[in-house]
Amino acid sequence: MNNTFNINRFGKILKHDGLNYFPNIILALAILWAIPVVIYLFTSLMPTEETNKVFDACGRINIIDALTKIAVIIAPVRLYKYCNDSRKGIGYAMLPASTLEKFLSMVFYCALVTPIIYIAGALAIDSILALFNGPYEGFAISEFFDTMSQIKHQLINSGVRWEEDLPVYAEYDKLITPFIRIMLSIFGILSLSSIFMFGNMIFKKHKTGKMIGILILLFIIFMIIFINYVANNEEYFEQKLTNIDGENFVKLIIYYFTRGLLVVQIVVSALMLFGVYRKIKTQKY
Amino acid sequence: MIKINNLDFAYKNTQVFKNISLEFQKGNIYGLLGENGVGKTTLLKLICGLQMPQHGSVTIDGLTPSMRQPEFLQNVYFLPEEVITEDTTPEKFVQKIGVFYPRYDFALFNKLMGELEVDLSKKFNELSHGQKKKALLACAMSLQTDYLFLDEPTNGLDIPSKALFRKVISQYCSDETTVIISTHQVKDVENLIDPIVILDNDDVLMKASFTEITDKIYFEYGPERLQNAYYTEMLPGGYINVMPNTEHLESNVNIEALFNAVMKNKETIKNLMK
Repeated sequence: MNNTFNINRFGKILKHDGLNYFPNIILALAILWAIPVVIYLFTSLMPTEETNKVFDACGRINIIDALTKIAVIIAPVRLYKYCNDSRKGIGYAMLPASTLEKFLSMVFYCALVTPIIYIAGALAIDSILALFNGPYEGFAISEFFDTMSQIKHQLINSGVRWEEDLPVYAEYDKLITPFIRIMLSIFGILSLSSIFMFGNMIFKKHKTGKMIGILILLFIIFMIIFINYVANNEEYFEQKLTNIDGENFVKLIIYYFTRGLLVVQIVVSALMLFGVYRKIKTQKY
Repeated sequence: MIKINNLDFAYKNTQVFKNISLEFQKGNIYGLLGENGVGKTTLLKLICGLQMPQHGSVTIDGLTPSMRQPEFLQNVYFLPEEVITEDTTPEKFVQKIGVFYPRYDFALFNKLMGELEVDLSKKFNELSHGQKKKALLACAMSLQTDYLFLDEPTNGLDIPSKALFRKVISQYCSDETTVIISTHQVKDVENLIDPIVILDNDDVLMKASFTEITDKIYFEYGPERLQNAYYTEMLPGGYINVMPNTEHLESNVNIEALFNAVMKNKETIKNLMK
């Protein structure tokens, strides 16, 4: 018997976890789906120039993006809350599937199914709301796949000379290619999901809250180090930014920041997922 | 066969087992007895791979439980003491987990639910504590694993249910099955378990079949308290005396009296049964 991976057994664990999926997460997803509806109703009742501007299709994509991240953050706790519980987790630990199969099923539902279901539902709701003559202009779904490219084409179609009129955006578009943007989105979701899956495995109570606390703490530490570094090298940065190379220097920072961010996302995802796998394998009950 | 070799285990600073070795053979219903907190549940968890030995080894049919391999997991089922159930019916629950077990039998589940008198249509959270326990027992038995571990299975069961429990366990266990029942309520499993294992703090005081026990220990029911008895207890109509069987007399094991005798004469009986 293959004790590492068997496709039939993997199918069974997918079905097992799938049967638990909707009863455990549907309410949370429904609340998140309701938020754009509430915004719609709110802006319908109190339309202002400002809200109309904010809730155009592009703005709504940003809201859906943020809500997707919330769905991804809460998914591990909603779906696998008890898998490290010394009493309630015994059933999960004793389920005859390998660690790899349990791990892949967890990743499948938390990092893949949840964002896909949430985004699909949110875009469907958005499309229905956009059909009415209300504050939602345009369809978020049409902006979804590559917002930056969409904006670019819209601006060009409306007569804007991309390179001449908006040189900074044009340059930005070249520095952060569609491939990099898609990779950043995918690994952004995966790293976020893996961080909270890991938090779900290591903490017994207040799992999401503790993980958010740790992330805030890490962010503060990082910012202190970064600000100190910039303050200590103020002259160097001032010189670089004000002299003739200033523009190139900013481009360089954008170039390396985006690639660096992607590398960080990949490394964090790999480390966290390895941690989740180890915890499933060695968790004591 | 379950083999435990030179096992050491501790929770932080509390030593639970120190260099214990045990074997559990197929075809038996073992009673794992001991006072509260001696490590009965911990031993079951070690056998199931839910805890990991600090030293020594635990193997079941050559497989290491702590590796949690599917080949091992599909052959064992652990029913914990605490009833923790999902918001579903026992039927849906067993169908969900049953697919993982090669010998799972849904017809047997239905039959057991009938014999244990559990309402099939109700969800777990609509059942009483005892009903839940019986439903979970039916689930566990219908999986037909070679190894079944029951932790305090009679806790919370009423008297008729305890009798049903004994009937069901003895009826459905075969020569290929090993059942270990951990309990401190020895009366509940009388006439069901054989052999018995008595645990003490970090040690095994006794592991013996009833034949081995009655070879060396005599259970005498009489009108008076005997001086050379390991343990004596007053019963309605007289006394039970647990004493050395020096004259090779035949008697029936009274588990409760035996347990109390072992607890009062730990070293003596441990050496006697070696």
